Order: sequence, then structure tokens, then C-alpha cells
Amino acid sequence: MSINGPVTRRQALRAGALGMTGLYVAACGSSSTTQSGASSAASNGSGSASASNSPVTLNWETWNDHYLPAQVTAVKQATGIAARPSLESDDSDGYLKVKQTGGQYDIVSTDALWAPKYFKDGLTEPFDVESLAVSSQLYSVAKQVPFWKAGGGYLVYPNGWSSVNIYYNPKYVSPAPTSWHVLTEPKYAGKVVAENQPTDLMAMAGLATGAKEPYNMTTAEISKAQEFLKAAKPAFLKLVSQNSDSVRALADGSAWMALENLGTDFRVKAAGGPVVKEATPKEGVVGWIDGEQMVKASAHKNRFEQFLNSMEQANWVAQNFLVNGRPLFNEKAYKILVNQGHKERADLLWYNQPERALQLTLKGPSGNVQGVIDAFNQVFGA
Amino acid sequence: MALAPEATAGPVPAATPRRAPLSRRLAPYVGFSPAVVLFGGFFLAPLVLIVLYSFWEVINYNVVHHWTLDNYHYFFSTPTYVSTLWDTVWVAALTTALTLLAAFPLAYWLARYVRPAARRPLLVLIIVPFWTSYLLRVTSWTTILGEKGVLNRFLELIGVIHQPLSFLLYDRPAVILVLIYLYFPFAALTLYASLERFDWMQMRAAMDLGAPPRTAITRILLPQIRPGITVAVIFVFIPVLGEYLTPQLVGGTRGVMIGNLIVNFFQGAEYTRGAAISLLIAAMIVAMLVAFRKQLNMADTHGR
Repeated sequence: MSINGPVTRRQALRAGALGMTGLYVAACGSSSTTQSGASSAASNGSGSASASNSPVTLNWETWNDHYLPAQVTAVKQATGIAARPSLESDDSDGYLKVKQTGGQYDIVSTDALWAPKYFKDGLTEPFDVESLAVSSQLYSVAKQVPFWKAGGGYLVYPNGWSSVNIYYNPKYVSPAPTSWHVLTEPKYAGKVVAENQPTDLMAMAGLATGAKEPYNMTTAEISKAQEFLKAAKPAFLKLVSQNSDSVRALADGSAWMALENLGTDFRVKAAGGPVVKEATPKEGVVGWIDGEQMVKASAHKNRFEQFLNSMEQANWVAQNFLVNGRPLFNEKAYKILVNQGHKERADLLWYNQPERALQLTLKGPSGNVQGVIDAFNQVFGA
Repeated sequence: MALAPEATAGPVPAATPRRAPLSRRLAPYVGFSPAVVLFGGFFLAPLVLIVLYSFWEVINYNVVHHWTLDNYHYFFSTPTYVSTLWDTVWVAALTTALTLLAAFPLAYWLARYVRPAARRPLLVLIIVPFWTSYLLRVTSWTTILGEKGVLNRFLELIGVIHQPLSFLLYDRPAVILVLIYLYFPFAALTLYASLERFDWMQMRAAMDLGAPPRTAITRILLPQIRPGITVAVIFVFIPVLGEYLTPQLVGGTRGVMIGNLIVNFFQGAEYTRGAAISLLIAAMIVAMLVAFRKQLNMADTHGR
């Protein structure tokens, strides 16, 4: 369109329409929605029998330790399914993104008690976990998690689990910590690092102060937890955004203790750091078990099972363990690790004891998240 | 026989000017349409949403459209938030002052003493840090200020200290130091732009008339580059006020700024609280800009 002289209204409107069309096309992205060969009416996700290799992209809200880049590539080559992982910072972040975007996501990863909330709010659909061929590789306990059963099916395809323990450098920390109250000891001032997860830190404080449900505390329990955290605040050197920062702090000696997931000792050693040991406080530890959920509004529910059947194969899960170092629910992967000479490491991380996962204080939505965040901010504010 | 109208009519009234067609009146503004779409869609609309959110509440992870002032009331009734905001303001003010103090000599030297041909490569050197990511620039300071960092090792090597200094990192001074480093180029370039346009003959004339150098600077130079100083203050103070990543990476638990608390709210899906505090900061910035507006008027400087 060339413009000679003053622009007419028609020219202006045409230019605007062309511009907006271009913006719209760009915003739509490149997700292809070819559904040839697969019935779009198979909304219950049991389309394994009709799985095709037609190309499709699944938008996956997850965490970075749920996949390996090479794994995603291999799945695409085998099934035509291109996974597009989008990282969530926390369960509430993932929950809200799915809630606000409807069918934009196809799969969402979640922890423990968040799964029932997703289902109750109509965001996810249950499926028959036993119908997935790959589920035969799982520990049976992973398929019997009571709060993951709903709607005549299973809410989550189990991935892995971990607890948040105290990792300490025995050269500087003695005796070995036996309680969360070690954080209030003045001799460890400025020598502890933890991840900046307000709900998790408050839950740990809740454990230390006897809260019944640390992730769903009453107002009085929040207040007690806040007082504990205030007393423990001098111990914290910093609150990190990535667990790799905790590893680095332990490795370079700037921190003597870290509140971190299982496997931190191996990661510190791999980073050239000193020997650090794990301690489980007597009050208990918080933890998580996570997995993949099928988003109810997804337009590709018929490819969910095909994707998992390919993605969750034991060989990839075993590699994931070696990279991320926390136990997973795939039993066949454990056997692969044993055959590869990693039994000691796997056993040290309780890989072959998945029942431990259900004994943890598991992550879940808070009934008073505002109170929790307010309490946390009041502790760590200036 | 009818006479021609001009033979019988009186003086012809001036023709009423006809309005140009709408398309012609709008034509000069067509070029603004992309900016209008961008500004309206990606700034004004989200801003309106934030304003609305600040007057609603979150119940069970859902934003409920229940009008309330509770978010603002809670902020002002909680000492931690007020003290953190106050600390943030003075950190921003101190950072701004120190940044300008550090940038002014460099800008003065560049504008006054460096040959024009040599200025360009020096200006490029000031901009070079922007070729690196913000995160990398901040993280690199941990290797400088940490207990096993370059600075501590150097001080131990020359015998000034025998144990590494732990307060250099993960505290408020580290936050201020890194912020000065990050925003130095903004201040330096802005001050340089003002100084470059200054007529240095005025300084010479003032000293010829007996003014010592310090008086010439304070009474002749500084008033005339006041708009540049004001812009430099704005370019440094406003972004520092909203900083959260630098305090998180190098501030530890003692260098927390208000931005960190806002992040915690959004991370916990407490959008309404976070929106209210964000708006309060925005209101502070607008008030500051209004107050500084007069400083940007050159007419005041020359008394015209």
C-alpha cells in the first residue's frame, strides 16, 4: 500500500487492520493442532490405542528437573509430540497459570496435595494410570497414593519425591543437628542458606513449633512459626532463588548449613566442595511428591498417555536421577542404576524406599496463604 | 427581471471556514498508532489492572472483586513494610548521591579535557558493561566481595587482614556498591551530555573576575547543568527504588528492599497486596517527577 498525499480514512483503517492481523498471527505462535488420525472426541485421555505420530506440540507447565533436553528431542522423534516446557516457580504459580489460561497448557506438574485442589477446581482430569504401559515400571506404592485417587481415576502420573533436610559441614557444625532449633544457635549466625520459598520456610518453622498441618496452619500456629523464624533469622546468610546457589555456598564454605533437597551432598562434592552430611530433624521434615497432570481444557488430551508412555521410560528416568540426584518413582530405573554401578548413591538417597515419601509433611495449598506470606515478610523485611 | 445577486446584496460576509474532513485531521497522527497500541495495550491496560487489583482481595488463590482498602491499610499498619519502604528510599537516595559523585568527575574530565577524537572510545568503554547481561554483572560481584573473593584474597596477601571479611557481601553496603556500579553509566552519560553543551568560556571569565575554581563550579557550572543533574537523578533513583534482584543476590537477609517483599507476594499469588504496594511506589515516583519538573525548565536557570 503506497501513500500519496494525505492518508484517507480507508487507508488508515486498512493499515491498522493489516497491522493487527500481523500481531495476532505472531501472538498465536507456532503450535500446530493437526489431529489427523486421532479422535478429538477421546476426551478421557485413553487414546493409547489410537495414538498416531502426527506432529503436535504439548505445552507443559513443569519444573526443570522433570525432563532432559535430549529426552524431549527423542520423544518428539519417536511420537511426533513436541513438548514445550514452561517453568513454574511454585505450585501456586502453576495453579494460577492453568486457571487463568484455560487450555493453553496441556500438562501441568504439581506436588502432592495440590493435585486434589486442581481437580476440585475443575482444572484437571483423572485418568486410568494402570492403562499406561509405562506405569508397570513404577513402584506400586506410587500408584496407590490415597489423595491422588479421585473421580474414578488417578490424578497424577508419579514422577519423583524428596524431602528438605539440613545439610551441614561436619568440620564446622558439631554436634550433628537433631532439631530445627539448631537454626537459633548464635554460633551459626550467618552460616545457613535456604531457598527463598516463603511457604516452605514457614512450614519448616511450623514443624519446629508443633503445628498440626505445617502447610495449612491456623492463625495461632502461623504466629508461633513467625516467632521461631524471627529467632532463626540471624542464622541465614541469604535466601537463594536456585538450589545451585545453595550448593555453591556449601562448596565454597560461605555457608555451613543448607536447607535443601535430597542429593545436595553429592552435588556439593561434584562442585568440588567439602564433605557435607544430611541430618533429619526430630520434628520431621517437609517434602514433596510430584508428577504430571492432564489439564482438562487441553485440546490434546488424546496424546497425554502416548506422551507419558514415551517420556517416562526407565532409561530416561535413570539419567534424570544421575543429573538431578533425587529419588524417582520408576522402579525399573532403579534396577538400571544398580546395573550401572550406582546402587550406593541411589540407596543413600532412599530411591528404593518410596514409602518414605508418604511419611513426609507434604506440600499442599494453604488455607491462609496471605497470613503465611505476611508473616514471612514481617520476619525478613528490613 | 431579477437583478444579479451582487447588484442588490450588501457586503459579502466572510466565508465560514469549512472543517477539514476527519481523515485529513487524523492523518498527522497515523504514525502514532503503533505507539498507541503498544502504550495502551501493554502499559495502560496492565496499569489499570494493577490499580483494580489493589482494591480487591485474594481468597483461596482467587482474586475476588470485593472492593476494599484493606491492602493499603495493612501496609501502613505493619511497621515492617513501612520501615522497609523507608530503608529502600534512603538506599536509593544514597546510591543516587554516590553515583553522581562518582560520575561527575569522569563526565567533567571527558567534556573539559579530553580531545573530541578521543572521547568516543572512552564513551564506548562506559557503555561496554551493557553488552553483558544484568544477572552476570551482579553475580560477578560475589566473586569479588565473597570471603574467598578477589578483594579478600588481595587484602590477605598484602597483610591488611588475616581473616576474610564477611561483611563485604550479603549486606546492605554490598547492595549499594553493586547498584552504584550498575547505574554509573546512566549518570555518567547524562552528565556528560549536559557538560558537553556548556560554554567553558564562562568558567574562564568567572575565574578571570576573581572567582576561585570551586565558586566558578558551584555558581556558574552547576546551575547551568541542573537539568542534566536532574535527569541523572531520575535515571538512577527511580529504577533503584524498584530493585529486587540485586538485593536478593548480594544483599543476604540484611539488604532486603521493598521489591523483595513485593516479589514474595506475587510468588505466593497474593496479587492484591503486591499490587497495592507497587502502586504506592509508583505514586512516590510520580510525586518525585512532579517535584523535579521545575528543575528541568531551563528558563528558570537564566531567570527568563
